[in-house]
Amino acid sequence: MKARREQIQEFVNELSGFATTAEATLKKIEEDLEGNKKLFSVFSERMIAIRGTSLQLELPHIAEIAGLSEEIAVRGTDAQTRPQIRKCVGALFDALTTIKHLLIHHDEETGEEQEILKNRLQATLRAFGGARPTVTADEIEALLRNRS
Amino acid sequence: MLREEVGILVVDDVNTMRIQIRDLLKQFGFKKITLAAGTPEAKAALETETIHLIMADWHMEPLDGMELLRYVRNHPQHKNVCFIMVTAEGVKEKVIEAIRSGVDNYLVKPLTPVEIQNKVYGILLKKQVL
Repeated sequence: MKARREQIQEFVNELSGFATTAEATLKKIEEDLEGNKKLFSVFSERMIAIRGTSLQLELPHIAEIAGLSEEIAVRGTDAQTRPQIRKCVGALFDALTTIKHLLIHHDEETGEEQEILKNRLQATLRAFGGARPTVTADEIEALLRNRS
Repeated sequence: MLREEVGILVVDDVNTMRIQIRDLLKQFGFKKITLAAGTPEAKAALETETIHLIMADWHMEPLDGMELLRYVRNHPQHKNVCFIMVTAEGVKEKVIEAIRSGVDNYLVKPLTPVEIQNKVYGILLKKQVL
């Protein structure tokens, strides 16, 4: 099996494509906030891919920011006013920049700036109604058992 | 059937994940592992390879893992292929949607070797592939 460092490097390289898509999506939303807000779903799809792979590679700080971004993007599709949509776009641009930085510097300790960003993302998400309810592995097992 | 003969199709648009899952499966003695970067590639692989188990990510562009699951379950030749959704998606309504659509099991990332072993062997034994 490949060394973790090598795997992370591959992921960093792969992420540049995801980040480009995510960034282009945010720019499109910015051009027409109300008309293009449905594109938040493209952003959330990319964030879930980043979150899943980050969890697998034991990069919890990146996974956490990607997870918060995913939820904010999901809420963004339902945002009713231009200021709300703009707030989502702003938060997601910051999150994306931080994710890219953390991936390149994944060996370093997370700094105060990242903690501030996390708090800000959490506050933004709370303002939009919070994250969607999730299920644990045990609950999934129970759902599968109950089906059959 | 011996585990060396079991055909497994791993579908994920993140190369890092495909490699990780393949390496974990190899650790458990599976040898016939096909990798696909998306649903169209997976559909093509189903026509050229003998596949007993699909392990697919949910969130892929342009066609996601649910599209692949529905395709498989509605396909006369492939409808009984074992299907495990491998995803970071833990939102309750989404999990229920996957279960209702006929997924055999569900693995939430991060995957551990023990979980993969339990779920892969579990479904292959249940469906009498092994």
